[in-house]
Amino acid sequence: MVKIKYLIIAFLIVMVGILATVLVFPSQEKKVKKRFALLSEHMSKDPQENTLIMVSKIKGISTLFGENCNLTVSDYSLSGNYTREEISGIALRGRTHFSILDLKFYDLKVSFREKDLAQVNLTARLTGKSVYGEHVDETRELICLLKKVEKKWLFSSFEVIEVLKR
Amino acid sequence: MEPTYGSRGINFCWRLRYLFSKPERHDVVVVRFAGSRVMLLKRVVGLEGERVEFRNGKLFVNGSPMEEPYVRYPCNWNLPPRKVDDNFVYVIGDNRSMPIENHYFGQVSMDRIMGGPIW
Repeated sequence: MVKIKYLIIAFLIVMVGILATVLVFPSQEKKVKKRFALLSEHMSKDPQENTLIMVSKIKGISTLFGENCNLTVSDYSLSGNYTREEISGIALRGRTHFSILDLKFYDLKVSFREKDLAQVNLTARLTGKSVYGEHVDETRELICLLKKVEKKWLFSSFEVIEVLKR
Repeated sequence: MEPTYGSRGINFCWRLRYLFSKPERHDVVVVRFAGSRVMLLKRVVGLEGERVEFRNGKLFVNGSPMEEPYVRYPCNWNLPPRKVDDNFVYVIGDNRSMPIENHYFGQVSMDRIMGGPIW
């Protein structure tokens, strides 16, 4: 009887240990997914957003990107290689076109091509309202690359998949 | 795809439709647009190797005008001729009442064709 009691206690300790490890030390995949959650949070915008919040969000966006980031977007003339500061500028200009903006990511599939290089295939949906009152609802499939620099996963490439090529 | 299929309606996809055959011209197909959940209904107008173009809203394939009884709303689209790549089909929606820039159409890989609507 005593043995069973000790076994149950030992089992509970092991379970708590595993749970604590998972919570305190999230897997690399979770860390990568967290970057997308942060990007979504920083890109979002509501009509009441003041300058202080805007500056904070733009700063937040810049911290998610590496020194350089490559954008590949076939429909627009946005494709190119940009520095972190240029990415912040693009995000700032993009956000000013909207009074309401919501960027959500779905179906994230994370794979590690190399030790410190993650590839994420995902669906991005952008909804909102432009400052001219037009409703926007765009969905695209993306391939993103993130590099691990000083223990942080930073965006290094965004490619919008061209499904329908005119 | 109006008026053939209403906007925001519910449709079921027959995944085995193109298991042993390839899509044919005028077939309505389900295109996997993003991830595994975002699908589009489109009509096949051009097959691999063919040349597709629009002249004043009229569809031409290999230089010949195509009859499209399913198109109810006239348009004035113009699109220079382009060749459909191997293992691709050219798809367009039936509702062409909007400007050409606002319409999702073009050549799509056969890998992205999920099947056809059941009805």
